[in-house]
Amino acid sequence: MRPIIVSRRSVRIAGLVSLASLVSLALAGPALAAETPAITAGIFQAALVGLGYYLSNSPWVLGIGGFFGLYRPLVAGLIVGIIFGDPVKGAQIGAAINLLYIGFISAGGSIPADPSVAGWVGTALALAGGLDAASAITLGVAVGLLGTIIFFTRMSVDATFAHVADNAAERGDINGVARANWLYPQIFLFVISFFPATIAVYAGAPVVSEAIASLQTNAPWVLRGFQIAGGLLPAIGIALNMRFIFRGSAIPFYFIGYVFAMLLGGRFFAGVTSPSIGTIVVTTAIVGLALAWIFVTLRGDRVDTTRGATR
Amino acid sequence: MTAMSEPAPRDPGGVGTGADGMGRATRSVSLSRGDVLRSFWLWTFFSHANYNYERLQGTAFAHAMTPIIRKLYHTPEEIKAALQRHLVFFNTEPNVGGVIHGTVIAMEEERANGAPIDDDDINSVKSGLMGPLAGIGDSISQGTITPILLSIGIGLAAAGNVLGPVLYFVLEVAVMLGIAYFAWFQGYDRGREGVTTLLRSGILDRVLSGAGVLGNMVMGALTFQFVNIYLTLSWNIDVGGGQTKLFDVNRDLLGAIMPGLLPLGFTLLTWYLIARRRVSPIWLLVIYVVIAMIAALPILGPAGSPCSSILNPFFQPAPGCPPPAA
Repeated sequence: MRPIIVSRRSVRIAGLVSLASLVSLALAGPALAAETPAITAGIFQAALVGLGYYLSNSPWVLGIGGFFGLYRPLVAGLIVGIIFGDPVKGAQIGAAINLLYIGFISAGGSIPADPSVAGWVGTALALAGGLDAASAITLGVAVGLLGTIIFFTRMSVDATFAHVADNAAERGDINGVARANWLYPQIFLFVISFFPATIAVYAGAPVVSEAIASLQTNAPWVLRGFQIAGGLLPAIGIALNMRFIFRGSAIPFYFIGYVFAMLLGGRFFAGVTSPSIGTIVVTTAIVGLALAWIFVTLRGDRVDTTRGATR
Repeated sequence: MTAMSEPAPRDPGGVGTGADGMGRATRSVSLSRGDVLRSFWLWTFFSHANYNYERLQGTAFAHAMTPIIRKLYHTPEEIKAALQRHLVFFNTEPNVGGVIHGTVIAMEEERANGAPIDDDDINSVKSGLMGPLAGIGDSISQGTITPILLSIGIGLAAAGNVLGPVLYFVLEVAVMLGIAYFAWFQGYDRGREGVTTLLRSGILDRVLSGAGVLGNMVMGALTFQFVNIYLTLSWNIDVGGGQTKLFDVNRDLLGAIMPGLLPLGFTLLTWYLIARRRVSPIWLLVIYVVIAMIAALPILGPAGSPCSSILNPFFQPAPGCPPPAA
């Protein structure tokens, strides 16, 4: 699969922008907010978030349950919500952050951002700051960009353990090769993922909550900017996924899906009461499944135009 | 997939049919289903445990082969050679790519029984199949199944239903595990010829094009659900007789053509920029956040209005602000 084209410069600049905004939040927060009640994360809660972040990158949850499960902000958000005592809010924030990473593909060791840290740390900070789901997206994205540092460190340093495995192979040491794959890299990964995430949540939560409280009184437009961004940024996540499926004879179905959701959502006919938004996506998916069945049946064995690059 | 289920003679890697006779006649060691399964679980758990820039999944491949090597080879030289053979660069999609491991295990088994399979034969199967299967596998697992299941989970969770993430997790793990298990044993039971037959059979094509239809439908629904842009430009027009009428761009122009045109157009623009103009998504992230901040700037707006501004057509309902005209 084609890796996403990301120039090093854009990553660096975006990382700097994220860092600058977080640092300015940190500096401005305590100075501006004198008497706002700060929501603090206990060290135990912060450590649980750190542990979750480590596990999402680790092999321990069936392998698949890590990268395809805990790594996703949707799943992380629910668990962080449980840790902080508000599962529903956590799931909503995680879902919103996950929108941006819905087209996330890690291929050949290149990632444009770290969805997992955006989910675990981002949700924790957003909960502490009392942000709504849409506003949390920007915060999650900023954290997610910084998280790539951990990924790149890991990908570089882990090459060392490949040489440890070489040495074990030279001795004919089967267990040594196995250990070089499952044990040593995990110790290193735990150090570089658990501690930064725990510290980010423990130290960051009061700062973010104070900063947001002070913005509320002093510069509410910034928070409104977060909200507006929450309506724009999902387009990027959706577009990233559309790169792979929005092609050939499948294109019309995107528009069918949109209009169908709009009909369900009651935006077409005034006065139609809309169902809950969860139902809209699920219903569209069910109808989509039926249409896919019809499509494949009618297509028969003719050459398909919906796929291009993969074979 | 029923076409693939009838039993077929094993042809490990499709290497040299002449090898059949002597390899099988003198069979001394053979793998049990349990050995192959143990290898499968090692790979499923640890495929990315030591993911690195130099070998990618190289050490993981060797790790997954340890039960096989332990069973098949007994002299230190053989063990060393087998370990080194599998420590080289390797990278594929971990679930669908298991078909390679299945094939290689079958080849190792034949080799241990004297079939003339050398390192090059095994390496060519690994390096020849890992690329194509990475492409196919990524478009199946990360490109299709994951986004569709995520969309459903996100839709439910955004509505405050905590079952959304749970449903996603359970379905995702079950589907991926099923694919991985199927691919692994297809590779082991049918060898490279089986893999080629499967790839040529058109089944994958059908599944992927059906998934493309479903995926597009769901992406359409997500666009409606989560992409929000409004134009709040409005002004009074003189309708004659000293009367004025409020003209709202969102309601009277865009709404009259098609409600929801703006979010749809915006998403298609984003797709065009990323997919066709190769704009980096990270640049877009920064640009969109900046646009949103400009749109929210109070100093640009009319005096006394915290909710809309001159430069900023983008508007989302915010606390204390009236919703835009539908």
